[in-house]
Amino acid sequence: MNRWARRFLIATTAAVVGHAAIILAAPYVLMTGAMKRVSRDGARINTWVHAPRTTEASRTIVRPSPDLAYSACVLDVGSRPVRVTAARWHDYMSVSVFAANSDNVFVANDRNHPRGIDLLIVGPGFAGTLPAGRDVVRLPSARGIVLTRRLAPTAAAFKAADDARRGDICAAT
Amino acid sequence: MGWRETAACVAIGVAIGCASAFVILGNGELLGRESRQGWFGNANAGSTAADPYTRAIIAKIGLLALSRAETIYFHIYADAAGKRLDDRCAYELRGGALPARWWSITVYAGDDFLPVNGDDAQSIDVTRLTKAPDGRWSARVAATRDGAKNWISTKNAGRFSLGLRMYNPADAARATIDAIDFPEIRTISCAGAAS
Repeated sequence: MNRWARRFLIATTAAVVGHAAIILAAPYVLMTGAMKRVSRDGARINTWVHAPRTTEASRTIVRPSPDLAYSACVLDVGSRPVRVTAARWHDYMSVSVFAANSDNVFVANDRNHPRGIDLLIVGPGFAGTLPAGRDVVRLPSARGIVLTRRLAPTAAAFKAADDARRGDICAAT
Repeated sequence: MGWRETAACVAIGVAIGCASAFVILGNGELLGRESRQGWFGNANAGSTAADPYTRAIIAKIGLLALSRAETIYFHIYADAAGKRLDDRCAYELRGGALPARWWSITVYAGDDFLPVNGDDAQSIDVTRLTKAPDGRWSARVAATRDGAKNWISTKNAGRFSLGLRMYNPADAARATIDAIDFPEIRTISCAGAAS
């Protein structure tokens, strides 16, 4: 192999490795950043953070909807399961669970849970006994985010959603 | 080859590889695997079945997106003629019923956040939309309202995009986007131009 061919091969290999590293790491890096912002630098883990009404000043998560009331809980299920509840809502509502790589691994909504949502989220290494009859989500990573969306396109609807979510639970069990 | 030369080749290669990755991450339009009338989306957005590029782009422009079982997302960056959406132009958005329990269309500035303009008119949604008796509707997408019943303010949005969300989509729409009557966006006028 001549010198230029060797240079080209080395540079190309390095380019492929660098490119793949960025593409594969990006979801984890961006999720880590989101978890840091939502949890106030780790101060609020396994705790609901109820976002104020989305406005032009909202900068926590990209492309937010101003028509939804968001609540987020940064999960740490590495040592203990986490119970998540969301009170019933008279319009569209969903509770979705995201793994550390940003995948949406679970979603429940008000149609399939008309009385409200009550989940137990366990980590990848959980070896305990799972309670029968409960909605259980096995998160493929120790960290993640739970997000509740309630349709609330007006100030009055947002106020009602804000009242409804005050009793929601996100807590290690 | 000496180690200095090898290191230089590695550095150049890594720089090119990283730069190309950042170009992809910064270009949401590359997400499009499905497109109709300028709207594009990806059936695997938010899904565990997403390929690495889809996952990375979604993490950049739509972190915490729901999978298609729950929500269909589409985005548009250009008008019906293919010209990039720009806050110096006024547009008309026209459409009909969309096959979902609830839908909305929201404007996003180039940084993927809501434009900062004080107008509090960043979206239209099916619950507040003024429609014609036949269910058709139109909305003004511009920096000024000009008396429009339905308005999305693009003031200070620069080169912007629109995001369409369809929550609890009908089974037919989840099966094929051909079941979706996508709204059309047409340029009315541009500042300093007679289009």
